[in-house]
Amino acid sequence: MSASDIAVRGSGSRIGWRELWLKEDWWAIWLGLGIVLIGWILFAHGSDSLKWLAVTPGKWTSLDQLGQHFAANFPRYLAQGAVWLVLFGVALSVLGTRLSAFVPSFIFLYVVSVAIFAVGQWAEANYYNLEPPLVALLLGLVISNLIGLPRWMDAGFRVEFYVKLGIVLLGATLPFSLIVWAGPVAILQASIVSIVTFLVIFWVARYLGLDRRLAATLGAGGAVCGVSASIAIAGAVGAKKEHAPIAIAIVILWAIVMIFALPLAARLLHLPTGVAGAWIGTSEFADAAGFAAAQTYGSYAGTVPGIEGTADQAVWAFTLMKVVGRDVWIGVWALVLAIIATTRWEPAEFGRKPDAAEIWWRFPKFVLGFVAASLIVSWIARDFSLADYNKLIAPTLVGPIKDLRSWAFIFCFFSIGLTTRFRGLAQFGPRPFAAFSAGVVVNVALGFVLSVILFAGHWSSLAR
Amino acid sequence: MKPAETGRCGFCRHFRNDPVFLEAAIPGLTSFSSGTASVMADDGLCLRHDRYLSARACCADFEAARD
Repeated sequence: MSASDIAVRGSGSRIGWRELWLKEDWWAIWLGLGIVLIGWILFAHGSDSLKWLAVTPGKWTSLDQLGQHFAANFPRYLAQGAVWLVLFGVALSVLGTRLSAFVPSFIFLYVVSVAIFAVGQWAEANYYNLEPPLVALLLGLVISNLIGLPRWMDAGFRVEFYVKLGIVLLGATLPFSLIVWAGPVAILQASIVSIVTFLVIFWVARYLGLDRRLAATLGAGGAVCGVSASIAIAGAVGAKKEHAPIAIAIVILWAIVMIFALPLAARLLHLPTGVAGAWIGTSEFADAAGFAAAQTYGSYAGTVPGIEGTADQAVWAFTLMKVVGRDVWIGVWALVLAIIATTRWEPAEFGRKPDAAEIWWRFPKFVLGFVAASLIVSWIARDFSLADYNKLIAPTLVGPIKDLRSWAFIFCFFSIGLTTRFRGLAQFGPRPFAAFSAGVVVNVALGFVLSVILFAGHWSSLAR
Repeated sequence: MKPAETGRCGFCRHFRNDPVFLEAAIPGLTSFSSGTASVMADDGLCLRHDRYLSARACCADFEAARD
């Protein structure tokens, strides 16, 4: 089915079951859980094939050492690249992407990602701030804004698809008991910040004379899940055509600033990794951007003096706060704002009755895969002692899944840079920018107070 | 098509919600989201009114799309 078929044949009556193959969230689940289940089968049969496939560059101190690694492991990288190419190619072709554009684009993405991963594994990388997420992002930004790539190559730069797959795989490395233990605090903290941030942006926007629908689109972008929230709320309230692009442009600018600013501020304050992860999860605007920031900060653990905790704590705290605490509520935000828009703002114009099912239609389904992956691996590990887990499950099942997750995130970080063309973003005036920025100030300050002061003990002891 | 669904934007010739079109029409959408994300549900652009709205919306200017 071509993408245009979706428009003319029946999407007006809801996408229904076809969502299972027409939305990338479900493809992230199929691929992520497929990897976990195949890994489990291989583990149960004593095979370490997944470990062989999930090759990553090791730490290195000289170019000779790095060269020897690639010479010895070239077939593994070739096999891994081919497997990614097939998996993503199948998914994206069903989603409407042309394979003739995707294949060369992804090969370029993979080859450069290998180089970025290798740079990040240099023993002196942290000293020179060469963390892979930041290198990938900056390199992508330079290529897309100063050199330029043909537009058709965007077929392989699927930021959102890669980050969703990474999040599903992340679930397999996160004990389910941790989600249950830390989830309620994440929801409480995220709810406080989301509601306050939305109201600040909305009220400032209205005070500055902006349209209510633009105010709501901006507010959701700052409060919930960035670009995805802006576009979801734009649809829910029936925004003007130019509203979503304005909100998206401002969200992108602030999200990229925060990728650098939040880890830098947390580093100066020597925050424990779990605390910094929670702060980033509260105050970053997009999942992909937040993972870049959280993973960057996690890499300081054990390498920057004075920063306590582990790399996992930063990523886990971020994920719980952003994905569990904020993202899953987008449907509720959409329903509430749709009710307000259709009953108070313009009751007669577009004749649509808000439906509680909107919560499900807009639910970010990849979160189900994240929880399912956590449940599956927690169930597999239920009868293993900690020593046996570390000896048997970690090296042949969870470790390789974690390495594949790292690849998915690097594809994502590089794709952020490659798809962010500043000149191509919508023009916006000072008023939308001022309204959103007011929300940023409140969001960052409130997120700091909650993560670093009020719930510091909770986040610093995460998974200890 | 069910009778109750005729007249909805999703069946109107002015309405476009295919992901490829939306990603081209909305600058920056692919930087941190995409046209095939679940959160977008079945929303799309009304080219007559220049509005971004749900496929379940409707208005007096409905014109049936050709199959």
